[in-house]
Amino acid sequence: MATFQLQIVTPDRMVFDGEASELIVRTITGDICILAHHIDYAAPLGIGEARVTDADGKQRCAACNGGLLSVSDNQVRVMATTFEWEEDIDLDRAKRAESHAQELLKKLSQSDADYALAEARLKRALARIQAKG
Amino acid sequence: MAGSSMKDIKLRIKSVESTMQITKAMQLVATSKLRRAKERMENSKPYADISSAAMKAAVRSCAGEKVPFAEQRDIKNTCFVVIAGERGLAGGYNANIFKRVAQEAGNQPCCVLPLGRKAIEKYQRLGVPLLNADYAHVEGLSVSACYKLAKRLIDGYSAAEFDRVVLVYTSFRNMLSQEVTAVQLLPLEPEAEEHPRPVSTVYEPEAAETLAHVMPDFLAGRLYSAVCDSYVSEVSARRTAMDSATKNAGDMISSLSLKYNRARQGAITQEITEIVAGAEQ
Repeated sequence: MATFQLQIVTPDRMVFDGEASELIVRTITGDICILAHHIDYAAPLGIGEARVTDADGKQRCAACNGGLLSVSDNQVRVMATTFEWEEDIDLDRAKRAESHAQELLKKLSQSDADYALAEARLKRALARIQAKG
Repeated sequence: MAGSSMKDIKLRIKSVESTMQITKAMQLVATSKLRRAKERMENSKPYADISSAAMKAAVRSCAGEKVPFAEQRDIKNTCFVVIAGERGLAGGYNANIFKRVAQEAGNQPCCVLPLGRKAIEKYQRLGVPLLNADYAHVEGLSVSACYKLAKRLIDGYSAAEFDRVVLVYTSFRNMLSQEVTAVQLLPLEPEAEEHPRPVSTVYEPEAAETLAHVMPDFLAGRLYSAVCDSYVSEVSARRTAMDSATKNAGDMISSLSLKYNRARQGAITQEITEIVAGAEQ
């Protein structure tokens, strides 16, 4: 299968640097799948599950949050705020964060400044749970 | 007389010895911290490099449109992000940073976002308005703290609290040389490109909106990498300073021991002369 160069970086480290055949990430406008020889493209990332298929066809899941996706000249770069592979995700913690955020959202009204924060927290927790599951 | 000077010299040797123990210990601590600090710096580099390239590309793609964070306003107030150390005893590390900031600021009104205890103390003493004085620890400054800082800077810039953001930090070259660097973070500087290439990248949403969306992330990444860079510089500056302090202490001890031995010899000779003179009578 045709492959492309994929680099996944977060501010504190290089998460992935190598060949991949398929990448699925969530941008702010929706999920997108990148294959080899995609046109040059850039979009901000949302909060959601990411899937990377490497050159051998093995797929790995991860929780990806914020940042930018950029494709140029068959070189794909994911500059994420956080990017955690499924094996690094603490499911209990994510579940706790989810229920905590749910509770907060019930208490807060939509006009509260913290509402958006709690909502983002819930989204991140859900993305982690989904990536793990 | 000879006795008292011998005692003085002995006291001085002792005090220099204990100073030497401290500088030696600090040098060893710096050496062991250096490896981890360097690792952290290396890890923070890729994001900063890749994101700054992506940002430049996005600015280029905005051609003709209004680029967010790039409008040139009258500079009424400048915000300096100053990254200094947590402690002194690192040669000119902190002093160089402050000198550069003073030079950049001139007599213009400015405010400061200090990182590191030395910077906080310095600008509190000078009475410069501070955006925040909570980040005293540079060593353990996390990525999420940098996100908070980046958000604060962008909010302040958007609200016209200040019209320019300049980052002053120390960039690490090698063990012996670190360079104070000042870069303008906001507004984005329009690039003077010699060979404008046609840009065919598809932005979703448009380039300007995409850029506005990811600006806080990129700023945070830039800050984090500068923090890591500065910390490595601090530790290596301290190591070098403590290394030469230890060497100087060693030199002082050997010259003092020589003096001490001379004085002791002198005292013995005098005593013998006195005894001989007494016996001759």
